Amino acid sequence: MSTLLAIGAGVAVLTGIGAGVGIGIATSKAVDAIARQPEADGKISKTLILGCALAEATAIYGFVIALLIILLLR
Amino acid sequence: MITGNLAGDLLKELNCDTAFTIPVFGGIKVPESVVVTWIIMAVLLIVSFLLTRNLSVENPGRRQKMMEAAVSAGYGFFEDILGEEGKEYIPYLISVMLYIGVANLIGLVGLKPPTKDMGVTAGLAVMSIILIEMAGIRKKGTKGWLKSFAQPVWVIAPINILEVFIRPLSLCMRLFGNVLGAFVVMELIKLILPVLLPIPFSFYFDIFDGLIQAYVFVFLTSLFLKEALE
Repeated sequence: MSTLLAIGAGVAVLTGIGAGVGIGIATSKAVDAIARQPEADGKISKTLILGCALAEATAIYGFVIALLIILLLR
Repeated sequence: MITGNLAGDLLKELNCDTAFTIPVFGGIKVPESVVVTWIIMAVLLIVSFLLTRNLSVENPGRRQKMMEAAVSAGYGFFEDILGEEGKEYIPYLISVMLYIGVANLIGLVGLKPPTKDMGVTAGLAVMSIILIEMAGIRKKGTKGWLKSFAQPVWVIAPINILEVFIRPLSLCMRLFGNVLGAFVVMELIKLILPVLLPIPFSFYFDIFDGLIQAYVFVFLTSLFLKEALE
């Protein structure tokens, strides 16, 4: 039973892949944009932080679900 | 063996301890997070009282100049997002940002961060969504607010209604999950090597992440607010 729980929690945390790829792409584009237009620095980083927060949320949901699986089904 | 201990610890941290019980109506339980929130409120009140004493127009002191710079920076930041008409909501947003920032950092002095209690983050998220919808009603009137659900086309009205519930849920879960996640990672690091190793990680997880989450929370609230005011 506990092995199955561990596998389930591990699968839930796989959401991190999506968040990692998403934030990576967003950051690379932001670096591109700043290299092209250094004067738009402030606006770009503001948007980047917003995008990162939204993308990161998926990883957080996965983490919360994994915790719930471990703690509530134990 | 070690993981068993950790799971127990985590469960203990997830549960919100009752600090004391008010002996009326059969005992009202006051959770620890509420007590820590009172402490934060007291600290913020005292600090703001001390900082706003003896203000003068003719010869402002150093303290007043710094305060004015900080406040106008905050106003400038939110005004960029909200525009002129959203100006009246800025004090609320700044207070929430101060509260969440202090709440996330209070773990450094040994108190339990109230944001680790899902009730606190849920309360903040519900307050945000009420503010957003009330702002929409004030701006457009009840009829206009109801109509705004069917925009741009009536087909997406269910999605718009769903959004009213998804937005606070995601605000609540983002803050709670981030604080709890940082806590769990720090516990794991302390389990590996409690000497010296946690210091650089603590800078990221305890200080940087907490402040970023405070920023993100009010930033998203103000973005939704702007959408409601359009």
